[in-house]
Amino acid sequence: MNKNRRRTTNSLEVNVLARVIIGAFLVGMAALFFVYLKNQQHAVGNQARLTEAALREAQAKNEGLKARITAMTSRGALQRRLDEGYIKLDAIRDTAIARVTPAVAAEEDGVLRTASRDPASRFGPGAPQRTINR
Amino acid sequence: MKGTGGRIGLVCALMVLIFTGFAWRLINLQVLQHDYFSLKAAEKHSIRLAIPARRGRILDRNGEELAVNIPVRTVTADGTHIHDAAALAAVAASFLEMTVPELTQKLSTKRPYVVIRKTVSEENAQGMIRAMEKAGLRGLYLEEDAVRSYPNGEMLCHVLGFIDHTGHGIDGIEKMLDGELAGQEGFRMIEHDRKGREIVVYRGQEQLPEQGADIRLSIDMGLQAIVEKEVDATYKELHPAGATAILADPNTGEILAMACRPNYDPNHFNEAKPEQLRNRAITDMYEPGSTFKIVVATAALNEGIVDEKSRIYCENGAFSYGGKILKDHHGNGDLSVSEILMKSSNIGSAKMALRMKDNSYYDYVRRYGFGEKTGIPLHGEISGLVNPPHRWDMLTKTRMAMGQSVAVTPIQMVMAMSSVANGGKLMKPRLVLSKGEGSGTQEVTPVREVVSAKTAGFVAAALQRVVSDQGTAPLARVEGYTVAGKTGTAQKISPRGGYLDGRYIVSFAGFLPADKPKLMGLVIVDDAPIGSSANYGGLVAAPVFSKIASRAVRYLDLPPESAVVMAQSGNASTARAGTH
Repeated sequence: MNKNRRRTTNSLEVNVLARVIIGAFLVGMAALFFVYLKNQQHAVGNQARLTEAALREAQAKNEGLKARITAMTSRGALQRRLDEGYIKLDAIRDTAIARVTPAVAAEEDGVLRTASRDPASRFGPGAPQRTINR
Repeated sequence: MKGTGGRIGLVCALMVLIFTGFAWRLINLQVLQHDYFSLKAAEKHSIRLAIPARRGRILDRNGEELAVNIPVRTVTADGTHIHDAAALAAVAASFLEMTVPELTQKLSTKRPYVVIRKTVSEENAQGMIRAMEKAGLRGLYLEEDAVRSYPNGEMLCHVLGFIDHTGHGIDGIEKMLDGELAGQEGFRMIEHDRKGREIVVYRGQEQLPEQGADIRLSIDMGLQAIVEKEVDATYKELHPAGATAILADPNTGEILAMACRPNYDPNHFNEAKPEQLRNRAITDMYEPGSTFKIVVATAALNEGIVDEKSRIYCENGAFSYGGKILKDHHGNGDLSVSEILMKSSNIGSAKMALRMKDNSYYDYVRRYGFGEKTGIPLHGEISGLVNPPHRWDMLTKTRMAMGQSVAVTPIQMVMAMSSVANGGKLMKPRLVLSKGEGSGTQEVTPVREVVSAKTAGFVAAALQRVVSDQGTAPLARVEGYTVAGKTGTAQKISPRGGYLDGRYIVSFAGFLPADKPKLMGLVIVDDAPIGSSANYGGLVAAPVFSKIASRAVRYLDLPPESAVVMAQSGNASTARAGTH
């Protein structure tokens, strides 16, 4: 009886079983990792979509504000303000103007420019270096 | 045992059949009908999202913005996503500036695409979306859009033009450069989830939009503001049918300012009447009157028919020719070419024309660009009217010499006078300096040489005398600068033929500084109801020119001529005499 029972009992091959379990585990982990990555991809995609929308919104707001600034500082708007008395122009007599640089005739570089756009009379970082002789 | 085995075999066979059926179905769906079902799925979830291109701005030569875009949103509804129209309307109505019943009615639809409202501000649109998300509602979506805005309103309206509701240019630069300004719309193939949100992972083909090019004009808004103010003042003071002023650089043909009255606000172009929409500088032709005398004078000098010293008998003010009497304003005896221009003698001009061969004279008229479009990039330019010699009668030649029997546009006259100013070269009017970043400015090349530099120089010097106490336009003077120019006073043509009594188009075309011209200006006042005795180019248009030029030279910082510095130190009369 014991002999027969021993004969019908299959031996458990631990190595094979371990390999199968590990293989299944790895496949399972890979699948889970794939799902995780896919979820992450969607989450990042969603974040990208929201960021794009926020960026578009900011750009649109910026454009809108720039357009508003342009409208408020346009010559037409300033003229209206001037007419309404919100701003005032004070004439400066020729004798009260001190010319820092000599007038630049247009033919020197072929460019028509206003006094305010004369590069030599501009202050700030872009202004040419001046030497002051005392 | 046998029965059991048979049953097991039967079950197995059935299982095989069932799974074979499943497998077949799977192959049918996934392989054989793959394309069909892919398309079906794509139709349901995948859409082509248009990415609109930003319309280019229009800038002046210094980068001042003349036409800009204000971003707005178009709100659309997808009826298949709306489950409770009334609730959605209650949330969204205030943001769309609509009443709840009105919006509810619009939202009660099963159509997948309904435009609910256009030109919704960005703030309102985003506020609406946030309110919908908070309330857990869906069905309203936003599309990007923009409205065109002209920050300066009426200023430069005829040059800028405007666009229609579809975003296409209808007039002015907006029309002529619509292709460059509009850009190219892009697209993106996207898939969306059941809530209508894009699934970014499944983004398909994408083509970015090609943004519209920024157009930089040759217009200088500083000068434009000066011109607009003076033209406006003239229009309000004299109430003429129209007024036009143009400033140009005679050396390059660049148009620096252009203004016409009546005008309109391109932000509200729907309210404008047809006569307000007309850019008179290019669409109206008029008999130029005496300003046209520069043509016969330069032609006769250039052909050697007369020279600087020639004297022409001006019949003491009444010249009988072709059965008609041609009159001068004041009787004159012998006059030089210079004096003919200074005194604006009709008889002297007519006699110079009569000395020329018909074809030669006609050729000069055409060489100045009269009778053909200048090619300025503005919609609606006309050619004017110059009849060829075979259509002339006996009087045509003498009439043309004094600016009758010929019709020109203001822009043609500016270019013709510019060619006298710049040494005889006809320039093409230039209104666009660049189209988009990286597009270089084109080289300035003259269309043709009309007359020699010597001839042009002589006539330019003669035109300085026009702006003297002895000439017809002393009121065109600009303190500190020598001005050369010519007045024009022409009776208006009657639609029934002949001329209208007491109705005139008066003009002044001039340039300064006379020796090295930097600025060319034309002022035309059409049919001012001020009486014949005062309605002359020298009395009406010349002072306007003077006001414009006086402010323009200061704006451009053109150094006053040395003669004036002397004048300030007490030698005024000597210095002024020396400049003429």
